[in-house]
Amino acid sequence: MQIRQPILYGLVFILVLILVLVAIGGGLFNQSARWPVQWQHQAFNSLCHQMANRSFWINGQPMAVCSRCIGVYSGFALGWMLLPMLSLIRITRLAHIKKVLVVILLFNFIDAAGNLLGLWQNTLFSRAILGGMLGSSAALIFVGDFFHHN
Amino acid sequence: MDEVTEQQAEQNNQPSYWTSVGIAGVIFGIIVFALSLVTSYAMINSEPSGSLFSPVQLLGIFVCLVGAFGGMLATWHYANEYNISIKLGKGALIGLFTGICITVVYIVFNQIWQFIDPDMTQKAIDSVIANFEASDLPDAQKQQMIDSTVQSMRGQNSIGTQLLYNLPMYGILNVFTGMIGAKVFGKQEG
Repeated sequence: MQIRQPILYGLVFILVLILVLVAIGGGLFNQSARWPVQWQHQAFNSLCHQMANRSFWINGQPMAVCSRCIGVYSGFALGWMLLPMLSLIRITRLAHIKKVLVVILLFNFIDAAGNLLGLWQNTLFSRAILGGMLGSSAALIFVGDFFHHN
Repeated sequence: MDEVTEQQAEQNNQPSYWTSVGIAGVIFGIIVFALSLVTSYAMINSEPSGSLFSPVQLLGIFVCLVGAFGGMLATWHYANEYNISIKLGKGALIGLFTGICITVVYIVFNQIWQFIDPDMTQKAIDSVIANFEASDLPDAQKQQMIDSTVQSMRGQNSIGTQLLYNLPMYGILNVFTGMIGAKVFGKQEG
């Protein structure tokens, strides 16, 4: 197996892991400060609505991002981790993944819009799963870019 | 050796990406600022419901992660303008600079708005307090929530705090979208 651009792959790997850890919020470390003032919440303040009733809770504290956002970040992290294995089975062609990515993005918008208009009621898990699909398909775009099997 | 020199020459001949970075940074900086403004005024003008999270915050559902797409716009513009392939590392770099640009534009507009409406933060804080006061929470918990939320809202106003949190967050997220943009919009080699 040949590895191309290992520094870039490793850097993104570390950054996305840090992002997931921060997004999980102060509950992971059982921080004593009230969650609105925790640095994790401040960090994601302008990136996510952070509504506690639309977020997963850990140790009595909501995560620093909503369930859809944590799905996106963890899905991207998972997809990125699986890149070496996925490049082995050559599951993809870029054109297909692009289409899948656009379809999943549309699903996310439709889901949010339908919920907002009262057409249906989505749940923490449905939002997390849709977000996770978006994040992982974004990572899958890079299959074959970093790992190459002869 | 010749191959390396050729690659370096090719790199040097690549057009500058700063225009694309600037355009995407300004556009997304304004979008992020405008959305934060809309959310703030919607909160100020809403009646206290007693609910911890008002319906106006539902607007936020659509704006999650919007500031992360600047890197994608920058790489799209760069690839479209010059019809070239973009290496992933370069896409990441374009994304990083776009994220920095978004943060700077957002902070500048925020500071300008402090002169236009100096009372905005105080009005938002009053609105949050009124909302907590109307809630069914026990008094001690209510007071704790008010204190921590007010402390958090005041802290978000300083340039230092905004730089400290927004620079790395927008930088990292736009690195990812810059790479995705390079992959999706860059002309495919071979």
